[in-house]
Amino acid sequence: MLDLRVPSGWFFTILGVILLALGIFAPDTRAALTDANVNLYSGIGMLAFGLFLLAMAWRGRKTS
Amino acid sequence: MTLAPIDYVILALYFAFVLGIGWRLRKKISTSGDFLLSSHGVPVWITSLAFIAANLGAQELIGMSASGAKYGIMTCHFYWIGAIPAIIFMGLFMMPFYYGSKARSVPEYLKMRFDEKTRAYNAVSFAVMTVFSSGISMYALGLLLNLVLGWSFHVSVLASAAIVLVYTFLGGLTSAIYNEVLQFLLIVAGFAPLAILSVLKAGGWSGISARLAPKMVHAWQYMGHSADNPMGVEVFGMVAGLGFVLSFGYWCTNFLVVQRAMAARSMSAARQTPLVGTFPKMFVPFIVILPGVAAVALAQMGAGYALPMKHGGYDYDQVITTLMAKFYPAGMLGVGLTGLMASFMSGMAGNVTAFNTVFTYDIYQAYIRKGKPDHHYLQVGRATTVVGVLLSIGAAYLAQQYNNIMDLLQLVFSFVNAPLFATFVLGMFWKRSTGHGAFTGLIAGTVAAFGTWGLTVSEGKGGVLGNLHEFPSVMAQNFWIAIMAFTCCLLVTILVSLATQPRQEKELEGLVYGLTKIPHDASARWFERPAPLAILAGAAVVILNIWFF
Repeated sequence: MLDLRVPSGWFFTILGVILLALGIFAPDTRAALTDANVNLYSGIGMLAFGLFLLAMAWRGRKTS
Repeated sequence: MTLAPIDYVILALYFAFVLGIGWRLRKKISTSGDFLLSSHGVPVWITSLAFIAANLGAQELIGMSASGAKYGIMTCHFYWIGAIPAIIFMGLFMMPFYYGSKARSVPEYLKMRFDEKTRAYNAVSFAVMTVFSSGISMYALGLLLNLVLGWSFHVSVLASAAIVLVYTFLGGLTSAIYNEVLQFLLIVAGFAPLAILSVLKAGGWSGISARLAPKMVHAWQYMGHSADNPMGVEVFGMVAGLGFVLSFGYWCTNFLVVQRAMAARSMSAARQTPLVGTFPKMFVPFIVILPGVAAVALAQMGAGYALPMKHGGYDYDQVITTLMAKFYPAGMLGVGLTGLMASFMSGMAGNVTAFNTVFTYDIYQAYIRKGKPDHHYLQVGRATTVVGVLLSIGAAYLAQQYNNIMDLLQLVFSFVNAPLFATFVLGMFWKRSTGHGAFTGLIAGTVAAFGTWGLTVSEGKGGVLGNLHEFPSVMAQNFWIAIMAFTCCLLVTILVSLATQPRQEKELEGLVYGLTKIPHDASARWFERPAPLAILAGAAVVILNIWFF
């Protein structure tokens, strides 16, 4: 059966990279009500989550 | 609100992944069971998240954030009282009978436990309701996207329905469940930053409580009298109506959610599914209700946010999207909007997969064509998936044309659903209850619901048959309708059962408490056993209630 952690992991990794790139290369893209670089922080979070899922899937494949 | 090209890229990326998961799972299907039931092969963490996600449709997200703005933190009762206890009960006490009976659906359990007419009544009413609720939520989404982004109603409705159709048609229930997990994660990713940003901007929880009236930031303190709180409901109506009758009726008997648990690998996995699901469920209020509450505080601060208006009143349904527009820059805005689309799809796929199973097994196989080879039912299941989506689209357009008919239909559905839990609880825990008892009880409960509605008035509406009592709010009226329906169904079922011939005990093995061996999984680690999980979930939800007391 398909290990769902692989596609979900890739999805969040790609999403994280897109947001991180926006946060770094277009830091002036801000929303009206916040001064925070929202794309940068959420990008880091999603990238970390995506890589975590991929690492779990990789570890699972090795042990089984 | 306008989207940048990058937001469309993110939306497209999400569509590619859901379709890709459906494509990858298409080869696993060779029997009707593979397609409609997932053949009991899905791991627990996946069934648990799908169990929660199938219920977390777009209407729920939009509606709960709207209620957060309208009623304040009391809205959490829909989760902490109106869901968690029922989910725990379902995992501990009801799943052994659903899973152990080897029934393929909830109506089929009713057939095994009671009789053909009880199953037929439940199957047909469930199938009709599922199609309409899927259509109504499609309509709500199309309307919102049209209002917020200016997208065409037709394009939003047809495109999102087409994507759901493709991945459920390809991979059946497994594909729906796998995608529900991705959708759940995406909903959290798209909504959690909004909750953090809006609450921080409003000065944290202390800033919010300082700005809003106390009754908006306490869940229980103002529930002594219905007049004191914004919902117009008193403690008994809340706990008995919502917390007991409505929530147990939904979480313990609705095939849409029960189906997710039934897809689990083993009996113990099936019992763990709802129990593990309580943990994400109890924290959902923090990402959907909290932004709604924060929005009211923000509007009072005059910091550049105003509550959305329509026809001179507040339009709370737009709270979540207007907040996104104010807090999310291009990029994250795409993620937030994709999260909204994901919630819509998880709700719709849930409806479609429950509909095709009940139609194929409980209507087609039971009454239209019996005894065909399995391959035939696989094809019927696939065809029903297409028909189900088409009917939902039809219902969405019907809702667009005739709004009042939809309100009326939802009212009728609530009358049919209200007594259900009484039937199931007697069926599972009282071996003396009979098919005639169950059937007359259900009818009597629905009639009682209609009677209560017809004889009472709330907010100046109702009272079609007379006016015996006035409720302070429609919500209070709904809770009391449920209480009356449940009580009536319970009494009638007991009386008729005692007057009719009980079934042989041998026929009820595996279906009723006391005649079913519930396997004790001795090899399971403590956190995989139902009782410790239930205690942990119960304790956590008590702490949350005290925190926001």
